[in-house]
Amino acid sequence: MIRLRDVGIDRMMVRKNIGQSSLLFSFLAVALFAFGWVRVWVVKLLDMGQFQTIIEQFRDYEKFAPVSFDALFTYTGRVGMTFDEPIVILCTVIWCVARGSDVVSGELGRGTLEMLLSQPISRTRFLLSHAVVSTAGLMALCLLLWGGMTVGIETTTLTETVPPPSIRVPFLGFELPLTNDEPTQISFPMSERVAPETYTSAVFQLFVFGFFLLGMSSCFSSFDRYRWRTIGAVMTVYVIQLVMFGLGKAAESLAWLQSWSFFNCYKPQKMTTLVRDGDLWSPWSFSTPVGEGMFPPMFYPGLLLVIGSVFYIIAVVRFQQRDLPAPL
Amino acid sequence: MDSPSDSITPDSIVVTTDLTKRYGSFEALKQCNIDVRGGEIFGLLGPNGAGKTTLIRLLLGYLHVTSGSSKVVGFDPEQDSVAVRTRVAYLPGDARLPRHMRGRGLLEFFSQMHPSGDLARSLDVAERLELDLSRRVAFMSTGMRQKLALAVVFGPRTPLLILDEPTANLDPTVRGEVLKLVLAEREEGRTVMFSSHVLSEIEQTCDRVAFLRKGVLARKLVMEDLFQRHRLTALLSDSAEHGGTVESVDLRSEIPEELRSRVERYQISAPGPHGRVVCIDTAGDLAPTLAWIASLNLQHVRIEPLGLHSVYESVHLGRSETDSHWAADAEKVTDVVGAST
Repeated sequence: MIRLRDVGIDRMMVRKNIGQSSLLFSFLAVALFAFGWVRVWVVKLLDMGQFQTIIEQFRDYEKFAPVSFDALFTYTGRVGMTFDEPIVILCTVIWCVARGSDVVSGELGRGTLEMLLSQPISRTRFLLSHAVVSTAGLMALCLLLWGGMTVGIETTTLTETVPPPSIRVPFLGFELPLTNDEPTQISFPMSERVAPETYTSAVFQLFVFGFFLLGMSSCFSSFDRYRWRTIGAVMTVYVIQLVMFGLGKAAESLAWLQSWSFFNCYKPQKMTTLVRDGDLWSPWSFSTPVGEGMFPPMFYPGLLLVIGSVFYIIAVVRFQQRDLPAPL
Repeated sequence: MDSPSDSITPDSIVVTTDLTKRYGSFEALKQCNIDVRGGEIFGLLGPNGAGKTTLIRLLLGYLHVTSGSSKVVGFDPEQDSVAVRTRVAYLPGDARLPRHMRGRGLLEFFSQMHPSGDLARSLDVAERLELDLSRRVAFMSTGMRQKLALAVVFGPRTPLLILDEPTANLDPTVRGEVLKLVLAEREEGRTVMFSSHVLSEIEQTCDRVAFLRKGVLARKLVMEDLFQRHRLTALLSDSAEHGGTVESVDLRSEIPEELRSRVERYQISAPGPHGRVVCIDTAGDLAPTLAWIASLNLQHVRIEPLGLHSVYESVHLGRSETDSHWAADAEKVTDVVGAST
């Protein structure tokens, strides 16, 4: 049973962690919200229909793209690409690695762990209070990105050119206009074509991707006493996993590498496609496989959630067992 | 060294039994047995690396013991360090505080973190130490941060207060104020464990002292006994006995039978430029020995407390307490004589 006193201590620890991370959170929140909004607005600037012929010539390289080329010709697909944008990934990684690496090795490096743990708080509660703030912050950042996209969807007006009615001549394969009218332009709100709720599962995917990184960073942090080394170790794993994922996609013989990379579990655009092709609940299925030779859509974020949680459990156990060195 | 059960009393608030901490082949603390009694100020003395901080950190559960055991306020820190820290306020040797907080906010934070926290008292201590609480920790000097940490630690009303070098980085005025605070804690019935390199601070405040050396508890001392130890140095008058000998002479055999338990040393140095220097070390009440000293026909007599320094040196340099400073004291006496003549 949680004692009232512990709740008070937890509350203070949460407040302290919020205070400590608020500046970083503010910057990332502004960046993600603004980027989500601008990224949607940019969609209207490019009429992908004009590039269709060009893109078709690159079909051989479609496997390197996180989404099928067909998705690029829909507004929903193009907006959904936001979740694979480097800025979104970068902001998420910054938050997760910065906060996760801070929990033990950061406090040890600054020397503040000594005073904090002189208070009657267990090491488990100390670590978990940090995890609660970091995870809530991650969730808030994901929601802010979604919020920015929603604002973009609601405020963006699309303009499309409608050609005059025509008829396709059989066998000859060309269009024959039925009238001499000029093509007309029609404008309509993007929200008529794109529903923000389409991206709920993609937002969830981004969240679990971050949760995995948070868990891994916290785990590494609980083993170390220097934050810079923790960050270095996490980024090394990140880059190796990214290279494995890229190589797995590039060469048929190395395809097996993909399944050993956590990037393989991050499929926001696949989830968007599932919504587009099915319904809102399609990406939340635990039983229907995403495609041939694939697992159900919830398997992938579920795996990241489980591994992230295992990392946190290892972090707690290690933090409990280790000797805490005096500040340098 | 004392065995574990030698000095443990029912009111012991800290008890360690063969407490050992080993890092690989290096033993940071070896079979340490101490007991700290309720309501006393207990000093921990030793050079850097002697094991003082290791002992404190084991008592608070920062480190896991290799062997042995300890009880702090009735709890084993290895089993329930949270219960220990609920009843202990601890000032680390190098207290570093969250840099993003302001002074007052930090005191509020720590007073709410600890179940025995008392913000008013922390603010009072901060005021006594003339601390500006409006600044962020990041912009405070080392001394200011130490004062702030002291205000944090003196806030909670815990039965035990552990201070690891509390006066480091403080100016002499504030040092004095901190020592007053420590003494006030004892008056209020709290127990204080106090680690310091400054011997005069230990002398001023502590009731008992433990000396650590290379991870070993080398000596325990009751300060009351130390205060009763004196060294007499004087010049031997020409008419006195032994004036004709050339070598330094140990005259313990000539101490009257009834004073033998009180006089630890009675020695005459070899002749110097101003004569021969007599050194007598006494333990216990000085009064009974004064009549005998008067009969020795001495000149330029000088009596001073033996002091913690001599014990410290004997522990750490391996000299006997009565040997330490003997040459220096003899020189002092001859210097005084030289100046007066």
